[in-house]
Amino acid sequence: MSGVDCVQALEHLADYLKRELTPELMVEVRQHFERCHECFEHAQFEQNFLMMLERRAARETCPEKLRSKILGMLRGEAEGA
Amino acid sequence: MAEAAAPGRTFDDEALPHLDALYRVALRLTGDASQAEDLVQDTMLKAYRSWRQYRPGTNAKGWLLTILRNTFINDYRRRKHEPVAMDLEAVEPYALDRDIHEVDPEGSFFAQIVDAKVLEAIDQLPVEFREVLVWSDVEGMSYAEVAETLKIPVGTVKSRLFRARRQLQAQLYAHAVEMGYIQPRESPT
Repeated sequence: MSGVDCVQALEHLADYLKRELTPELMVEVRQHFERCHECFEHAQFEQNFLMMLERRAARETCPEKLRSKILGMLRGEAEGA
Repeated sequence: MAEAAAPGRTFDDEALPHLDALYRVALRLTGDASQAEDLVQDTMLKAYRSWRQYRPGTNAKGWLLTILRNTFINDYRRRKHEPVAMDLEAVEPYALDRDIHEVDPEGSFFAQIVDAKVLEAIDQLPVEFREVLVWSDVEGMSYAEVAETLKIPVGTVKSRLFRARRQLQAQLYAHAVEMGYIQPRESPT
């Protein structure tokens, strides 16, 4: 008997989604999700949440005005040095 | 520009690609656009002046975020009205869990929530949770990188991250119900 059970799979879920498990465990956890629908849903839930965070919260960019202000400041520093 | 600490790599090469991330993190820490701009500018100046201390080949984004956070703690945090310090271990991960999973097991509702609402919900987290979540889940840093820049053990990173996510999920779920994106199970009256 190999692989992980439901309790272990859910314990590893967060690390699995961050790809911070050993390669062997990554495979075992993935295989568990492939054969267990309930755990798969949990994984899907967390993954949808994380994808949403990445998409929605990492969209803001540094305003152009600030960028050029910083560039100007760095030039000034370089000349003054 | 500054003498390169890494052969061939200037400060501009290493630092400028991270301006967007620095600005986003500054916004989440200060909660205010004009303070965020000041914070990014101060950070870039300090980073430039200590460029020689940067170890080539290490994580430039992590290095810059460390400077940004130290600057925030030393010069900005006291300017801002901070919520009363709380015992973080006493913050319970929300118990809405089962409810959400029954109504929308795969969390499809997350896709319907608009950017502003997500950011607002992040900003409402206690700062210790907020920074772990932003570092890890918004800016994509590894546990080790988060632990190093925030100077807390990896175990603490994980437990704060867990609580931060639960709290955020519960808040977004409540919002989704309010907006009618999802129908809750019949509510007790």
